[in-house]
Amino acid sequence: MARTDRARGRIAATVGVLGELLITAGLILALFVVYSLWWTNVLADREAKRQGGRIRDHWAQSAPGAGSGAPGALDTKDGIGFLHVPAMHNGEVLVKAGTGSKVLNEGVAGFYKEPVASAMPWDRQGNVTLAAHRDGHGAKFHNIDKLKDGDAIVFETRDVWYVYTVYAELKQTSRYNTAVIDQVPKESGRSRPGRYLTLTTCTPVYTSDYRYVVWAELSRTEKVDAKRTPPKELR
Amino acid sequence: MYPWIWRHLPGNAWVKSLIALVLVLAVVYALFQYVFPWAEPLLPFNDVTVDNNGMQAVTP
Repeated sequence: MARTDRARGRIAATVGVLGELLITAGLILALFVVYSLWWTNVLADREAKRQGGRIRDHWAQSAPGAGSGAPGALDTKDGIGFLHVPAMHNGEVLVKAGTGSKVLNEGVAGFYKEPVASAMPWDRQGNVTLAAHRDGHGAKFHNIDKLKDGDAIVFETRDVWYVYTVYAELKQTSRYNTAVIDQVPKESGRSRPGRYLTLTTCTPVYTSDYRYVVWAELSRTEKVDAKRTPPKELR
Repeated sequence: MYPWIWRHLPGNAWVKSLIALVLVLAVVYALFQYVFPWAEPLLPFNDVTVDNNGMQAVTP
């Protein structure tokens, strides 16, 4: 009798510990979701705000118009400008060099250096190709699916507002489809060199199985005035 | 596991609760500060770029 009781007690204890471990694992996974979808945003937004503020300070010190031929040809390490996408309702997004996770995790958008190097907005022609997170780490392109043909995307540099107009979206493509960031993005339907802007991020939301791509084309530029009055698309 | 920890915490129930709370917070802190940042790039949830070999996006 005593032996069966002890055996039963041992089984019960084992099952109990197993249950505790499973509950613990569940809690850790839940915490990971909290971390991914909330805490990384807090950290990234804080970092992006700090860095954006620094760029604006730089710009304020060198008054607009004072620069030479290449407008915004500042050191690209700190960032080349800000992206404003009214349809995404997420304010301004700092744009920095590179698309590595270290850069993107700071809550910024990065321009591609590889596999195909991005053009700069002030280049005579080419494709400005950007990537940013869909979820977590600032989730700067979370609302990319809200962009429709005709929507404005404004790229702000120190001296110039570059106003782009969305003309094509690719809702799902392979992560290996690097053709979407070609200097002439044929998949968007364009075959001639022009001044394009390409946004890429992952899709569907909360996963990164595929890539979501939005193409836009430069429609006009506007000089930055002394008060940095935004172009009418942003008002 | 948890009953064992509870039995080995010193003091009365209030003190035990307080220590347990501190322990939980320490674990959560360690997870957020060290474990999750380490684990995140290893998990396929947050690659956003297009690239040739798929590895660049994970560990550039």
